Amino acid sequence: MRLRLPAALLAIVGVALLAGPVLGQAQKGADTGKAPASTKGARAPHPNGKKGGILLAMHREDLAQGFSIHETATIATVWPSMPCFNNLVMFDPFKPVESLDTVIPDLAERWSWQDNYRNLVLFLRKNVKWHDGQPFTSKDVKYTFDMVRQAADAQTRLRINPRKDWYANVETIEAADPHTVIFHLKRPQPSLLMMLASGYSPVYPAHVPVAEFRSKCVGTGPFKLKEWRKGEYIEFTRNPDYWAPGRPYLDGIRYVIVKERGTRFAALQAGRLDISFPGEATKPIADQLKASGAKLNFTPVGTNVNDNLIMNIKKPPFDNVKVRRAISLAVDRRAYAKAVHQGGAVAGASMQPKPYGFWGLLEKDLARLPGYGKPEENKAEARKLLAEAGYGPQKRLQVEMGTRAIAIYVDFASFVINELKQVGIEATLKQVETAQWHPLVTRREYQMGANLTGLGIDDPDGNFYENFACGSPRNYTDYCDEQVMKMIDAQSQELDLKKRQPLVAQIQRKLEQDAARPIMGWRLDHFPMAPHVKNLVPHHNIYNYGRMQEVWLDK
Amino acid sequence: MSVVIFVLMRLAPGDIVDVLFAAAGYVNESDKQFLMKELGIDKPIWAQYVDWLRGLAAGDLGKSYRYDQSAWEVIGPLVPVTVELAALATIFSILFGVPAGILSAVRQDTTLDYVLRVVSLAGLSLPSFWLGMVIILGLVAWAGWIPAVTYVSPREDLAGHLVQFLLPAAAVGYRSSALLMRITRSAMLEVLREDYVRTAWAKGQNGRAVIWRHALKNAILPVVTVIGIEFAFLIGGLVVTETVFNLPGVARFLVEAILWRDYPIVQNLVLFIAVVVVLSNLLVDLLYGWLDPRVRYSS
Amino acid sequence: MAERAVADTGLEMVRPARPATGGTWASVARFCRKKPLGAAGGALMLVIVVAALFVEPLSTHDPIATDASNTLARPGRDHWLGSDHLGRDIYSRIVHGSRVSLIVGVLSTLLGSVLGGLIGLLSAYFGGKTDLITQRFLDILQGLPLLVLALVMSAALGPAVHNVIIAISVPIIPRAARVIRSSVLSIREMQYIESARALGIRHLRIAFRHVLPNTMGPFIVLATAQLGSAILVEATLSFLGLGVPEPYPSWGRMLSVSAAEYAQKAPWLVLFPGVAISLAVFGSNLLGDALRDTLDPRLRGA
Repeated sequence: MRLRLPAALLAIVGVALLAGPVLGQAQKGADTGKAPASTKGARAPHPNGKKGGILLAMHREDLAQGFSIHETATIATVWPSMPCFNNLVMFDPFKPVESLDTVIPDLAERWSWQDNYRNLVLFLRKNVKWHDGQPFTSKDVKYTFDMVRQAADAQTRLRINPRKDWYANVETIEAADPHTVIFHLKRPQPSLLMMLASGYSPVYPAHVPVAEFRSKCVGTGPFKLKEWRKGEYIEFTRNPDYWAPGRPYLDGIRYVIVKERGTRFAALQAGRLDISFPGEATKPIADQLKASGAKLNFTPVGTNVNDNLIMNIKKPPFDNVKVRRAISLAVDRRAYAKAVHQGGAVAGASMQPKPYGFWGLLEKDLARLPGYGKPEENKAEARKLLAEAGYGPQKRLQVEMGTRAIAIYVDFASFVINELKQVGIEATLKQVETAQWHPLVTRREYQMGANLTGLGIDDPDGNFYENFACGSPRNYTDYCDEQVMKMIDAQSQELDLKKRQPLVAQIQRKLEQDAARPIMGWRLDHFPMAPHVKNLVPHHNIYNYGRMQEVWLDK
Repeated sequence: MSVVIFVLMRLAPGDIVDVLFAAAGYVNESDKQFLMKELGIDKPIWAQYVDWLRGLAAGDLGKSYRYDQSAWEVIGPLVPVTVELAALATIFSILFGVPAGILSAVRQDTTLDYVLRVVSLAGLSLPSFWLGMVIILGLVAWAGWIPAVTYVSPREDLAGHLVQFLLPAAAVGYRSSALLMRITRSAMLEVLREDYVRTAWAKGQNGRAVIWRHALKNAILPVVTVIGIEFAFLIGGLVVTETVFNLPGVARFLVEAILWRDYPIVQNLVLFIAVVVVLSNLLVDLLYGWLDPRVRYSS
Repeated sequence: MAERAVADTGLEMVRPARPATGGTWASVARFCRKKPLGAAGGALMLVIVVAALFVEPLSTHDPIATDASNTLARPGRDHWLGSDHLGRDIYSRIVHGSRVSLIVGVLSTLLGSVLGGLIGLLSAYFGGKTDLITQRFLDILQGLPLLVLALVMSAALGPAVHNVIIAISVPIIPRAARVIRSSVLSIREMQYIESARALGIRHLRIAFRHVLPNTMGPFIVLATAQLGSAILVEATLSFLGLGVPEPYPSWGRMLSVSAAEYAQKAPWLVLFPGVAISLAVFGSNLLGDALRDTLDPRLRGA
């Protein structure tokens, strides 16, 4: 509070900044130490920002655990909480494809890899204050990430902790001085920066109990929480003490909760909202909005969310890889994208396909995987495999497919059941409420399931360790293969991108051949927004572009 | 009744902790036990019930599991929205239902009567969620406009507020007015057959006077009863209308709380609805006494 | 006599499995002439009953078969009422949905009316303290709006056909009990019951042999009147995702999320299931009205 600049001075600084290239602070953080590539920020598409205005944003459902991003794994929390926080580093808001090359400074103004990617040294910004006026220091960083990785000496504990495994490779976190933090790793892991850049990795204040984030939000971010009207809206107001000069542009953001999907997009079409919600504007919705003539701009982007089939590998019949492969072969992936998503999805294995993602398999590799080639041949092979496993017209394979009682899941499951029918598998559908679904899956009281997986970052480490590693809590199928584990570790420490890519491709092929968790397709989004919204660039990943620091309204 | 709801909710599979973990995509059994203890849902059902009653007696409604906030703070702002919507719908239904019913009774078995009866039955047959959906989607398709999706305070913008409430009130009020029309019609028919009305007709009194002075006065009792029942019904029955028109009311929140297994919110909302039912019944009884001297004398 | 005959036709229409006999045809004709609206309602219900009975021959497609090459098809020769976003035939789904709606509607109404009727019968017959306690219990049940109770019930029991039936039937119990109770109260005082009692016939026997048959009229009226709202509640529950689960096509669920999503591009997704629900409820309301007028003028407007 003592250091608050008079408003006039702030305005002058702001105007001065507008004249020059934006993101001056981003350039300062370039190429220190052995940073793999340039960390320069991209130019803003609309640099001459105007100040003021309230952004009206669509929101799908009310917050699940308040603003405690670390305690959830849902975009419904991340999206409206990101403006309150900062990360150590973040993905360049203006670059839709995310990679190590697009990681830019946030609270860490620069960083340096040392000892051949064994130690990550981060130099923190000075004069940053929490929304309650307390200074931000390296203690807060150590506190946050010790809490997330559940270090033995962590000061506090999250009551729900979904991303502990992201930091499994961190040995210790050292607060060297108030403005320097060092992450000491067990082995080299260049991907650590990716995880730190995700919207899932905000820095929490050490002086505020975690429980308070369920109703309040104390961050360092560009916006302060103004009011959370339960079930109605979440409203932020600009942080006048924000560390980035001249930012944010907006006076505030209001996330309006609209539960009914038809009403949600009717409101956008009628101009009651300025922007959509990440991942919500499917192709049919975008087509309709375009046809309606509403004044909206559309950006087709990937979501880094895939639809996948989970099977209980520990129990018959899915302990037999032939049965699993038959299931994977039976579902025609291209028909899936066309029917379930009206063309608003793309086929791909366990990493998001190009051009949306960096690691996806090439088309020619995909064609050889189960379910991607000619549908008739695939279905014939599926019948053959089933016969080898002892199933046929005399002894039909009967399975129960579970899913959550939400339309997108049910459509997905209905389609798969119909495909399975064509190879002689009788599948019945069991719908359960959200409250029951995860307990069933965690207790492995399911046979098959229609599942959605959103990946916080487009990175092999973030995906494989979370969803395919032996013993990970989110590895619902219990797929566990020693060889694959070795391959995952090998690619993780590979510093040369050229060598890492083929390793990752090999893992993806192996996972599909084993039908570990057959991927049905990757969802696309069309993110509609009003033309007066500037500098909001949707990424090919729903979780990482919600900061709103650069967004302004041209009204 | 509170016992019934209390037990039913807790018999439902899954609990708030499962929902919270669902948002994180996994469940950890030991963490789950810890959380259940923190929220106090590891205790036996009867103990939780006693706790709730004890709190209630002290004016404490308990804490929402989901929001970590007192149930009253969560529920409080929702109440006026629903009450206003229900009241507007009731007014709408009285304005349309009662005159239509009278007209239909007086013109019994004419074309007008048949048309009114079919229109009113149609009102009872249209699913309200469908009607609301068609209104919103139709409006945006043809006019490119819909009412505000965030609550507009009447103090800030009275016109906007009215626009926001009148559409849903009309959508629901159609159903209620259908009900009122039917009850008014049959009550009027019965009264019109009574001797004293016939006498009045026979004495050559003006038709309108007969209807208003004699018939309606006596037919009003069952109509008032139904208005009371209907108002109480609307308080809890607006689930889908509130959802489709995105109004932050009680009913929509109740469904949400049920899906979230947020027991304190469910219990208190159900209790609130029950209180409204009792109060409106009481009000109807009082109105009875005022409208019909016989009831006053007998009691 | 005429009234008895019409009562039977009422039964025929609610339970079409029983073959109609020659004698009743005449009274059906009379009913049609006297109550054209009721007859129209009866005809609507008949269409739905026929659809529900002959689901297979009447549908043109497998209602759950998806067809990626034919999604959101306009109504036409292939798909009479169009196809949905997964390429499923709307017409066939509506035909199949009639079975769910009718089964849930009829069974829940029957269950609720029978249970409520029994409670009402016994409560009224025994009177005194039993009556008083039962009445308080019913007050409790009736204190809650139908939808709220059904919501809590179906959330507690989970989505399955039999659970939905139970959930919808519970709110009907108090209504049925009230109606039956009041008619039993009047019958109880009649002379032949007095004499039966004087002859030393046991309570239960009197209740079931003598009192019960005389309450059939109001019972049928009540059941028909509740049928419409039961169908409506089923649709609403399904719309909210708490009703009958997939793969059974249900009218209410056909209208939930996906329909609104595609509404402007394919309005038939929203239109036809809504019309189906409205017609079914409309039909049973019309019929219920007419039956009430014919059978039991006292109940008019109850």
